[in-house]
Order: sequence, then structure tokens, then C-alpha cells
Amino acid sequence: MDKNLLGYKGVKPVFLIVGFLTLVQSLSILLLAKGLAEVVSALFAGEPLKEQWGTSLLFLLAFLVRHACALLMSKVSYRFAEATGSSMRRQMMDKLFQLGPRMVGDRGTGNLVTLVLEGVTKFRTYLELIIPRMVGMSVTPVLLLIYIYTLDTSSGVILTLTMPIIIVFMILIGVTARKQMDRQLKSYRTLSNHFVDSLRGLETLKFLGRSRSHSESIATVSDRYRSATMRTLRVAFLSSFALDFFTMLSVASVAVSLGLRLVNEQMTLVTGLTILILAPEYFLPVRLVGADFHATLDGKEAGEAMKSIIDRETATAEIIETTGTGAGAAAAGTTGPEAVTRESIFTWRADSELLLNEIGVKYEEEGISSLSGVSLAFQGARKIGIIGESGAGKSTLVDILGGFLHPSSGSITLNGTKLSALTDEAWRKQTAYIPQRPYIFSGTLADNVRFYYPEASMEEVSRVVAEVGLSRLVASLPGGLEAMIGGGGRSLSGGQEQRVALARALLSSRPMMLLDEPTAHLDIETEYELKETMLPLFTGKLVFLATHRLHWMVDMDVIVVMDHGQVAEVGTHSELVARKGAYYGLIQSQLEGIH
Amino acid sequence: MKPEGWFAPYVSSYFWRFVLIIALGALTIFSASSLMYTSGFLISKASIPPENILMIYVPIVGVRTFGTSRAVIHYVERLVGHDTILRILSKMRVRLYHILEPQALFLSSRFRTGDILGMLADDIEYLQNVYLRTVFPSVIALLIYAAAVITLGTFDLAFALLMGLYILVLVVVLPLISLLFTQKRQREVKQERNRLYQKLTDAVLGMGDWVISGRQSQFVDTYESDEQLVARTDGALRRWARLRMFIGQAVVGVGVLSLLYWAAGEYADGAIAGTLIAAFVLVVFPVADAFLPVSEAVEKIPQYRNSVERLSGVAAAEEKERADDPWRAQAAAAALEQVNNLDKMKPDVHIQLINAGYRYGSTEDWSIRDLTLDISQGRRIAIIGRSGAGKSTLLKVIQGVIKPSAGTAVINGVEASAYGEQIPGVIAVLNQSPHLFDTTVANNIRLGNPEATEEEIRAAGALARLDTLISSLPEGYNTPVREAGQRFSGGERQRIALARILLQNTPVVVLDEPTVGLDPRTERELLATMFEAMAGKTLIWVTHHLVGAEQMDEVIFMEGGSVEMRGTHAELMAREPRYRRLYELDRPGVMPGGSDSMTP
Repeated sequence: MDKNLLGYKGVKPVFLIVGFLTLVQSLSILLLAKGLAEVVSALFAGEPLKEQWGTSLLFLLAFLVRHACALLMSKVSYRFAEATGSSMRRQMMDKLFQLGPRMVGDRGTGNLVTLVLEGVTKFRTYLELIIPRMVGMSVTPVLLLIYIYTLDTSSGVILTLTMPIIIVFMILIGVTARKQMDRQLKSYRTLSNHFVDSLRGLETLKFLGRSRSHSESIATVSDRYRSATMRTLRVAFLSSFALDFFTMLSVASVAVSLGLRLVNEQMTLVTGLTILILAPEYFLPVRLVGADFHATLDGKEAGEAMKSIIDRETATAEIIETTGTGAGAAAAGTTGPEAVTRESIFTWRADSELLLNEIGVKYEEEGISSLSGVSLAFQGARKIGIIGESGAGKSTLVDILGGFLHPSSGSITLNGTKLSALTDEAWRKQTAYIPQRPYIFSGTLADNVRFYYPEASMEEVSRVVAEVGLSRLVASLPGGLEAMIGGGGRSLSGGQEQRVALARALLSSRPMMLLDEPTAHLDIETEYELKETMLPLFTGKLVFLATHRLHWMVDMDVIVVMDHGQVAEVGTHSELVARKGAYYGLIQSQLEGIH
Repeated sequence: MKPEGWFAPYVSSYFWRFVLIIALGALTIFSASSLMYTSGFLISKASIPPENILMIYVPIVGVRTFGTSRAVIHYVERLVGHDTILRILSKMRVRLYHILEPQALFLSSRFRTGDILGMLADDIEYLQNVYLRTVFPSVIALLIYAAAVITLGTFDLAFALLMGLYILVLVVVLPLISLLFTQKRQREVKQERNRLYQKLTDAVLGMGDWVISGRQSQFVDTYESDEQLVARTDGALRRWARLRMFIGQAVVGVGVLSLLYWAAGEYADGAIAGTLIAAFVLVVFPVADAFLPVSEAVEKIPQYRNSVERLSGVAAAEEKERADDPWRAQAAAAALEQVNNLDKMKPDVHIQLINAGYRYGSTEDWSIRDLTLDISQGRRIAIIGRSGAGKSTLLKVIQGVIKPSAGTAVINGVEASAYGEQIPGVIAVLNQSPHLFDTTVANNIRLGNPEATEEEIRAAGALARLDTLISSLPEGYNTPVREAGQRFSGGERQRIALARILLQNTPVVVLDEPTVGLDPRTERELLATMFEAMAGKTLIWVTHHLVGAEQMDEVIFMEGGSVEMRGTHAELMAREPRYRRLYELDRPGVMPGGSDSMTP
């Protein structure tokens, strides 16, 4: 039983309706069995056909009602499952966007997409099945059994005894199968992935001259996979074997015991037939549960995975203390809406000031810090270079500055207001972001440029497109600005992608720019040209540029050198060179060349 | 559509197993039906007054036998079924591999989007269901259908035909309607879901941008409304499935009544024994269990078609590649001789390109044109240029993967393209993301030379400077690398791949941007290791920037398919201001502004 189940919105009416329908269904099963038995035994006794019309129609009616109930139950639970599934998906999507790109990095893009798409489907199947199955299990067999007891005690006893035997055996076999699965899970996984692994590595195999001979290994591994699977299946299928075996055996025992008592004239044919028709129906709910067991288990797990994401805490930026410029607005917050206050705090102006006080980031309680004791101050429009080797904490610092990540310790003072973090929508809306691989979605070039600012006019778009040096590309595209790019259209080169991101930033005229390793993956000429385009566009903005490409630093107003999660040095290029510290060391090591 | 390509061959090669599975499936239904039949017969017989226990002994045995046999037969049926399917799966995999293997080097350019290889593998997994979920249940249903009608026919032909008509509704009419109704909608749902998949992947990859744009709720809204559209079509499919089930059951109900009336009539006429009334009526329910699932089985057909189409698409492309085969055969012998004559200790490979040009179609632009290269043994050249400059085409020509459309490309006097399968004996390749297979480090390195001893593997590892890494691993060289080498960082993966090609020990090594994405220190260290370990070998190094260019004998700048500038590093520095400018970008110390104090 899933303890989450009762927590879903609208689940109680569904339980009630399904419960009622199951009750009606069970009663109609009783009725149809009785009707059919009566007709058969009357005919057997030689009564004329035409007298049986009424009872036969009663049987047919009960039969149809029974299946109509099944239809309605399936409809009700489908509707509930659909609604709950969508609301879970909606909640999860909202949460994903709140948690941001950090979370995606941890879980993997593929995993998340599969969870949203397939996980929801599985979860829906689970919800759709679990309610009717649970109710069916607890209502139908009990009702039928009570009725059978009123007719014939010994059949009732046989049927009663079978049920626990079935359940015990199924659990025993289930546990054994699971143990066996777990034992060989690792080798099993390797075997089953071997084929995809081989296909993905086909190019490498070809280069190594091993691609021909590798087909033998595919055949042998597939065979080993087969024997491993069959070993597991031999045990796994036993559970449905036990289910089959004991229900059938029970029905057979009931039939034989009925026969014996009929011979001894301890019973009438009508009773015997009724019980015989009811016996398989008594086991039907258990069989259905067995048949849907794996589907429900998968769905339950998917539901839990989604819930674990939805229940994650998102740390929002909290206002710790208001002083200075933001104070007036904060005081006004008692009358005006809170959003106004927040917006004024997070707005970046020419005279704004941002202070990081002893910022630290730790992903795990016991783990090492990604950032520790980072204290920095920035004012107005400056170009700030963040440099360091990989693992020095550049990206973490960028995530803090961009409002993607809530620090685990320290505070931030912005415009005189002390905050716990910058993770606020109002702050992010001040920022234009250019990552190593900017997001080019499937759509027109113009729409991609308008990403931050959808209301922009076509003239404005053409202006910024020209400014970032994309005019030649636009001229070469068949539809110009309206040409489709991204996944569904023409794919752009790395340099062009950066220019689109740049056009976006330019069009939005946001006062801050955040660049995370924008050129390291490009060939050197493209990098050079892009740099020439970018530099003039930085004027009048607060720019954070994190990179390991040293050449950018010469053009920065301030350089922050990161090392092992800490700020090693802060200063201008010439200051830092003169100091001969960490920055100088970085330059020296790149100058050395390769020996 | 060519379903026979991926379907029929397996039916004929596993014909007898298929027969066995279907026979067992039919027997399963038969046992279940017989249990109810004999039970009905038993209690009817027992209720006739003068009977004694001996008279019902046979039906009792029957009831017990059928009661136990169904479970056993069904168990065996499932095991045999799955075993056969897994055998077929194995054959299909080998076959797909054989189709893909010759075009390995074109796959990435042919299927640019998505994980086509993963999809093809899934398609094959999916095709197993054709047999388990569709073919077997349908054939078994037809078999039971025939048996039922024939059995009834021995009593009363007209009634047998009537019942035949009822069952026809279940086995043919409903499935056909189902197929017609669901085909289009299922395709819609599938396409729509693929689109959602793309859209979502897109958005998750660009999550940072969405979050910054402040428009994330807008995305969630449009995504949800798309999901609602799919849900609507899906809902229609489900409605039909429920209705279909109900109609099917109604047919069964009417069937029971018809049978009842017929049996009563026959009994009244004295044509059958009264004991058979109950037997006939009770048998209907288990028999119907064979017919009801047919609709669902048939509905799945369009889905298989999708998979089969994709698989045949790959196969068709292969035929095209084969068309230009003949020219390979001629020079192949000469190439083989060259490879066999290579002196492993002191090889001498001479690569020459004379006015070589290539274009993918006769109307396309030239990818490379008029290239002349003379690379003698041990020479080291760097090739640089932006994306689309023709670097990868040039590499393909040197490796003989493609034959130049103009001019010639020869290795030791034999056309490069003639080497074909022999080329890994001459040229090794280290590219941006060499694949590490899900096995141990040692096994990954051993791929370079399967006959290598443990010592040789260790030696190659040492040459690639893997020692420190290996000694930090729990099981040393026998540590599994995990899927796609996840255990290791980018630089470490490259070192393992480097050890692998060192073991391959070819006279020529092509380095295709092996350091993209690595940070400067790792890059430098890796390059230093490579250049050191490959002393004496010919190096053809495609790179995206100029770190390490000083170590090369020649630097070639490509643009638009031709050579823009070439020469040694020193020559280019002296002669080409453009080269100097770019080089300075990689060496910021000598840049104006900070340069004076920096020059050591």
C-alpha cells in the first residue's frame, strides 16, 4: 500500500465511486451465476425452453451490468490518473525550473526528460490500476465467499484455504526472484547494455580495426544475456505459475467435492453449478493484481522519484537586513506589494554596489567546499574577469552571481540590503547569460534573438543582428531572419551560436552580462573575431566573464583569480603581473609551451 | 514497407520452435476450457439419481488433470517463448551490427540529430514484441477458433456456423475496426510525443537560459498545453479500448445464451446428453479468454511498422555505399601487400596527396580542393581552420575512407582508399571523444592489440602516463571504466585511449582535436605526453588553437577547402601577421600591455 495514494487531490471520491461500482459488480456476478445455474439445471431437469426466458434475460442483464461496471471503473480511474499525472508533471516542471541548471547537471538531462515523459505515463498507469485492483481485492472475494458459505460450507473452506496459500507462495517466489535478480544485477546490466555500447563505440572499433571481429562478441554476449535472462525468468515466472496452479487446483477440488456430494444427494445441481461458476470469479481479482504487478511497481517507483523532486527544498533569497538605498522601499513594503520592494532591491544601477561576504558553497554536508570565504565587492559598470584552473570554483561563483545557486554560508549585500542569496527572479531579469553552449531552440532566428524580450520589433532585431556580425549569415539563409534554426532547422556553428546569444543580450538591454567560458571550445580565428565583436558591447554594463583563456583578462577592469574554491587575488592585469602571484603563475605556465 | 526483411527470416529459421510455442499456447487454453467442461459434466452427471461414485471416476480424474496441467503448460510455454525470442534478438543484433559496421565512419554525418544508434537498438528490442504480443496470441486464437467451430460442427453444422460468426466478431471484426480507428491516432500520439521529447530535451539543456529569461512559466504553460493535446488523443484511444472490451464481452454474453438455447434444444430432441448442457455453457468463458486479446494484439502493428521502417532505412543506405565497391577490390591486394611488408620496428610510410579535391555530390561545393601534401615517415603536421574549412574531409581522404573526386591520395604508392579494412594497420586515430567500452581499463587498452601481453599493456599505460591514475584505482588495470568511461575525467579518458592506440602501434597517428574541452593545464600535459610517446611516428594533428604549434614540422591553415597559409611555426611567425595575431591570443604574456614585464 502506497501511503502517498490517499494524499492526491480528489482521490476520495474516486475510491467511493470505485467502491460502489465494485459492490454493484460483485452483486451482478452473484446474480449472473445464480441465473445461469438456474437455467442450466432447469433445462437439465427437462423443463421446456420457453419458461426460461425471464431467468436467461436476467443472466444477460447481470452479465452486461458487470462489464459496464468494469468500463465505468476504468473510466473514472483513468480520468483521475490523467488529472493527477498532469498536476504532478506541472509541479515537477515548475520545481525543475526553480532548481535550475545545477540540478540538471546532477541528475543528467536524459534522466530528467525520461522521468517527465515516461515516468508520468508509468505513474498514470499505476494510479489507473491500483485503485480498482485494491478495491476489487478487498470487496469481491469477500462477498463471493460469504455467499458461497451460505450455500455450501466445504467449498467455502476450500476456497478460503487456497487464498493464503497463494499469497504466501507468491511472496516467497517474489522474494527469491528479487534476490536472484539483485545478485546478478551488475553483470546483467553490462550484458544488456553491451549492444548499445558496441554501436556507440563503432567508430572507435573501426579506427582500431576491430569492428569486423567484434560481431562475434555481440553474438556471444547476446547468448550469455539470454541464458542469464532465462535463469531469472525461470524463477520469475514461477510466481504466475503458483497463482495459476493453486487457483486451478482449488477450482478442481471444489468441482470434485461438489460432485461427490451430488452423488450422495447432499446437494442440488443449482447450488453446485452456482458455486462452480463463482469459483473462478473468486480468484479473478488476485489474478488481475498478479498480472499488473510489474506495471504498478514501475509506476509507483516513478511516482516516488517525481515526488522526491517536487519535495526538494528550493532556497529562496531572503532579506536579512535592510539599510541604505533599499530601506525606503522596504519600509514602503508595509503598504505596497512585496514585489515592488524586491524589484527595487535587485535593480542594478550605475551607482549600485554588490558585496559578497564570506560566501561558501558545500554540496554535501560532509564534503569539501566548492567555495569558501569568498568576499568581493563590485560597483556600477565594470568588466570583471574570473580566472582559474578547472575545479578552482569559477562556475560555482558564476552560479552564485547569476542567482542559480544559494550559498550554504555567508551573505550578500546588494544596494545596501543584506540578502542570503541572489536567487531571485528580479535579479535574474537584470542579467543576460552567455554559457559555453548557448541555448538555440527550434524556431526562427528572429525568435531566438527575441528570447529575453519577445516584444521587440523586427527593426530592433535586425539592428542587433547586424551589430553582432550575423548579417552575412542572415543574407545566406533562405528566409532571412525568419529562417528556422536549431533542432528543427539549420544548425549553427559554435561561433554563430555565441553571436545569437550576444544578440539576445544586446536586444534585452539588461544591465548585467554573465559569460561562462564563452570561447574555449571555438577555433582560434573564430574566438578572435568573436572577441573583437564582444568587447565593445561590454561597455556600460556590469560584466562577469569566467574563463581559463587568459587573453580575455587584459581587457578586464578587475580580475578575480580563483584557486581551490577561494579568491587568490583581485586586481587589474598590470597590478597582478607586477605582484608575481597566482595570476603571474598562470601566465608563466601557459608561456612555457610543451616540452 | 518491407516487413519481411526483419520478420519473415526468423519465422522460417525457428519454424519448429514457433510451432511448439503455438501448440503449447493452444494447449494452455485447452486445459483451462477442459477443466470447466469436465467440471460441468461432472456435477451434472453426479446429480443424476442412480449414479454412484465409480461412474464419475473418469471425469474426476479429468478435472484434476486439467486443473494442474494448465499452470504447467503455460509455464513451459512462456519459457520456450522467451528463450526463442531472445535467440531471435541475438540474431537481429548481429544483423544490425553487420549493416552498420561498414558505414561506421559516416554514421555521425548521416544521422546528425539524436541518439539514432540507441534508437535502433531499442527498435530491435521492441520487435521482440511482434512475436510475443501479436503473432503468438493471434495464431493461437485462430487455432482455437478453428477447433471450436469444428467441434461444434460435429454436432450441428448450422449452429457451428452461427457461433463461428460470433467469434468472427471477436477475432476479425473488432480487431479490424480497432486497427482502423487507432492507426492514425496512435501515429499522432507517437509523433506528438516525439516532438514533446525534443522540446523538453531542448528546454532542459537550455535551462540556464530559460531561468535567466524569466519566461520559464511561459514554457511550462505551452508544454502543458501540448501535453493536453496528446492526452486528448490518448483519451480517445482509451475510450475506444474500454468500449471494445465491453462490446467483446457483450458478444460473449450473447454467445453463452445462444449456446444454452441450442444445447437445450438438442437435449430436448435427444441429440445430446443432458450432462453436456452445463459443460458447453461453462466452457465459453475460458475459451473467450483466447479471443478477447486479439484486438489489442493487432492494434500494435502500426508501432512495429515504425521500427521496421527505421531499420530498413539504415539497410537501404548500406546498399548505396556498396555500389562503388568494385574499385576497392582491384588495388586492395596491393594495399594488403604494403601492410604486410611494413617493418614493425622501423616502418616507413609515405603519404602523398597530389592536387586532391573532394565534393560530396557533383553539384555540391568542393569540401577540399587542390590540396598537395607530402608527408614522409616521422613528419609532424598541424592542421588548423574553422569549422567547415575541410579538415575532417581531408582526414577522411588520408585515411582512405573517401576517394578524392579530383587528384590522388596515395600511401606508399597505393591508393589510400584501397587499404579499406587494412588501414588500422597503418593509421591510428585519436579523436575528440574516443569511446571507452563498459569493461575494465586493461580490456579497453587491449583493444589496440588483442594479442598483447599484460606487460605490453602496462608498458603502453606507462607511456601514456597512466601510472598514477591506475595506482589510485581500487583494482588497478582491472577496474571497470563504467558506462562510456564515466568513472574518469576527460583528460583521463584521453590517456586511456592514448594507451590503446600506442598498443595499436601504427606508423601514422591522426589526432583529431583530442584536447577540445580540456582545461589548459590538462591540455598541455596531455599534448606533452602524446608528442613524447609518439616519437618517430608520423603525426597529423587537427587542432583548434595554436598551443603546441612550435613542436610541429609544418602548420597548415585551411579555409574554404584550400590551404590559406602553410609553413613552420617560425616561418609563419615571421611572415604572416595574421598567424602572429592568433598565436598571441594563445600566449597572452607577450600581448601588448603586459608584455614587457612578462618576457622571461
